[in-house]
Amino acid sequence: MNALDALGASPVKANRLKTSSLNNKMVNDYWTDVFDAKKNGRLVCWYEGVAINPLMQAADIAWVHGEAWSALLAARNGEETAQTAAEGRGYMKELCSYARTHIGCGVMAQKRGAEASGSSFADALGANQLGERVPAPDMFISAYPYCSTGQQWDEMLFRLFGKKIPIFNISVPWVWGNKKDATYLGGAEFKEATAFMVRQLRECIKFIEEQTGKKYNWDKLSEIMHYTKRAGQLRMEAMDLCIAKPGPASFFDWTTSLAPVNFIPGGPAIVDYFEQVKAEIEQRIADGEGSVPNEKYRLFWDGIMNWNKIGWLANKFAGYGANMVAGRYTHMGFWHEWDPIDVKDPLEGMAINYLVCPINLSAPLMIEEIIKLCRKYEIDGVVLHAARTCRAFSNPQYLIADAVQKRLGLPVAMIEGDMVDESFYKDELVNSRVEAMLEAIDGRRRVGIAA
Amino acid sequence: MKSSTAQYVMGIDFGSTTSKTVILDRAGNMVASAIAHKGSVSNDGAMVSMAEALQQAGITEADIARAVSTGYGRRMLDIADKSYTEITCHARGAVHLVPDARLVIDIGGQDSKVIAVDANGLVSQFAMNDRCAAGTGKFLEALARAVQVPLEEMGPMAMTAVEHLSISNMCATFAETEVVALLAEGKRKHDVLGAVHAAIASRTLGLIARVGKREPVVMTGGVAKNVAAVHHLEQVLGMKLRIPPDPQIAGALGAALFALDEITSPDHADEEDRVDTEMAAARCGTPTCTAKKPLPANVHPLHGPALH
Repeated sequence: MNALDALGASPVKANRLKTSSLNNKMVNDYWTDVFDAKKNGRLVCWYEGVAINPLMQAADIAWVHGEAWSALLAARNGEETAQTAAEGRGYMKELCSYARTHIGCGVMAQKRGAEASGSSFADALGANQLGERVPAPDMFISAYPYCSTGQQWDEMLFRLFGKKIPIFNISVPWVWGNKKDATYLGGAEFKEATAFMVRQLRECIKFIEEQTGKKYNWDKLSEIMHYTKRAGQLRMEAMDLCIAKPGPASFFDWTTSLAPVNFIPGGPAIVDYFEQVKAEIEQRIADGEGSVPNEKYRLFWDGIMNWNKIGWLANKFAGYGANMVAGRYTHMGFWHEWDPIDVKDPLEGMAINYLVCPINLSAPLMIEEIIKLCRKYEIDGVVLHAARTCRAFSNPQYLIADAVQKRLGLPVAMIEGDMVDESFYKDELVNSRVEAMLEAIDGRRRVGIAA
Repeated sequence: MKSSTAQYVMGIDFGSTTSKTVILDRAGNMVASAIAHKGSVSNDGAMVSMAEALQQAGITEADIARAVSTGYGRRMLDIADKSYTEITCHARGAVHLVPDARLVIDIGGQDSKVIAVDANGLVSQFAMNDRCAAGTGKFLEALARAVQVPLEEMGPMAMTAVEHLSISNMCATFAETEVVALLAEGKRKHDVLGAVHAAIASRTLGLIARVGKREPVVMTGGVAKNVAAVHHLEQVLGMKLRIPPDPQIAGALGAALFALDEITSPDHADEEDRVDTEMAAARCGTPTCTAKKPLPANVHPLHGPALH
């Protein structure tokens, strides 16, 4: 029997980072705070896409990130009711499952009798369904890069709530990178895009001032961004340490560590969290401890996460002796460009991070970054997770597959799945593709061809 | 019971619709090959094809030194010492049949795959159809039912198509609906079948684009026996396909060749082999397995029920 059979039947478990569990408390505290927002007299903003939450936090507005909420529902098996509610309103199954889940919550918020008064909805505490507990919005801020569904998602919600709730739109320009002087984070075009973003963020802050009736607290924003920048730095340093062999943490650990750099309030807790994560990784390196028991392959995950299957996938790959050491989703987003953030005047650094999120780079720029990561982490093969309802993420995947094959000689496996709709995932189809890729790696190793 | 000093090796391709078994002697000569059609991932089918191959060779299981399985049901076979995916085995089998092959197109019952092979005969890249069975053997079977033409007559009939019709290659179910609608419009079966085969070709062309067109191209799998599928593929590719005499057995042949490697190479008895016996019961690889033997403690199936 080969390793791949063993993987199938093996009781192997991924050696997940212990510190990741600290994240759970932060996430729970955050959502409890959101559920209590209306009771505590706070306004609630619904938004999607990039992490603009520091803008709201500085104005003491509670924020509901659509994808985070949908992922939470999926992780707790509560997404189906919301998805069914959205489908009942005509939002078909092929539409982004994050959007469907979040819109479904909007439908449920309406059903429980909240009226579209234009300012506030009845609070949802005590609702039976988790999906009903999210407080209805008092405003929307739409800042979705690249994904057209994302950009319309807030507008769908705007319509759903009777077109009476204020909405502010930020247009995040696509990073083309096709001018002669264009480089990653460089060139006149990128500079111009950054300046355009900064102007819009300033306008957005005026919008926030109008909603709260208060002068914006810039000092608070600086303080939040101080912690956010530090957390971003620590996370990147900890991920960099995973060039070690065996890799002390995996892509799956980094996905479970996204909340603090995505929607958890910027404060000492998120810094403390990544300090602990980094310390655990340093300890693991000192002990020679890997995130999979017997690291035989080092893989790269391209594509968005499959939140229904996160622990299951971590164990599955661990069973193959495959360490998913890095990924586009985790390593090319979420305050990964912490260095340009000037905490005293943070808007430009924030804009840069919003622009270079994992789906907003043109394929040539994106591919160069992926190739750098594959080299840095000494990758043996690339798994491309094509999320059925997130074509924004999967659009460039054939190009990525082609580039890593031709330029690095890496075999690839394309698997289908979804972010939060489990019905798009089929186990055996994934097995065949991943196992065939690992067999191709084995075959090449036997004749002495390394990637 | 197999013996390591026995003189033969066996490869079993436990596919979604058919089971194929190939037996080689230690010199690599094929002494038997058998194909059994017994429905979806059928244990009976695998047993029938193995029994038939053993009978053809005039040997018993005791004469088999090593067996390797592949295909959807590859983990369900107790007899197999090891299993590999269809990609790896089809590539190996096809390269054995056509040594200079650089691209292997295999259209089987449930999936279609395109495999790029490097100068060493190793898999360099591959692409498989996504979830939908459009463009696979199942697609042809469903449409054979809709047109009420026996499967084996579809190809020859499609070759006589005159009118150019178009059928979706995206969804097998929709394609069936389209076929019924075209027949209801009074279109000739021949022309409808021409469109069905053209749809398969265009679907496969998409997979070829993903790994890159290269020559020579070998086609294996049951659909390679369909003259119209081959014709339309050659048309869209602008290349001739090389079809081995018995294209369906390429996967089983590849598996048998791996078994042969493993008895002739001393490193075959790897660590995983030792674990193998402990895990035999957990090989139940698909949800359709209904046998009910309890698993050993601490052994969990990859998927499917926790019983074997």
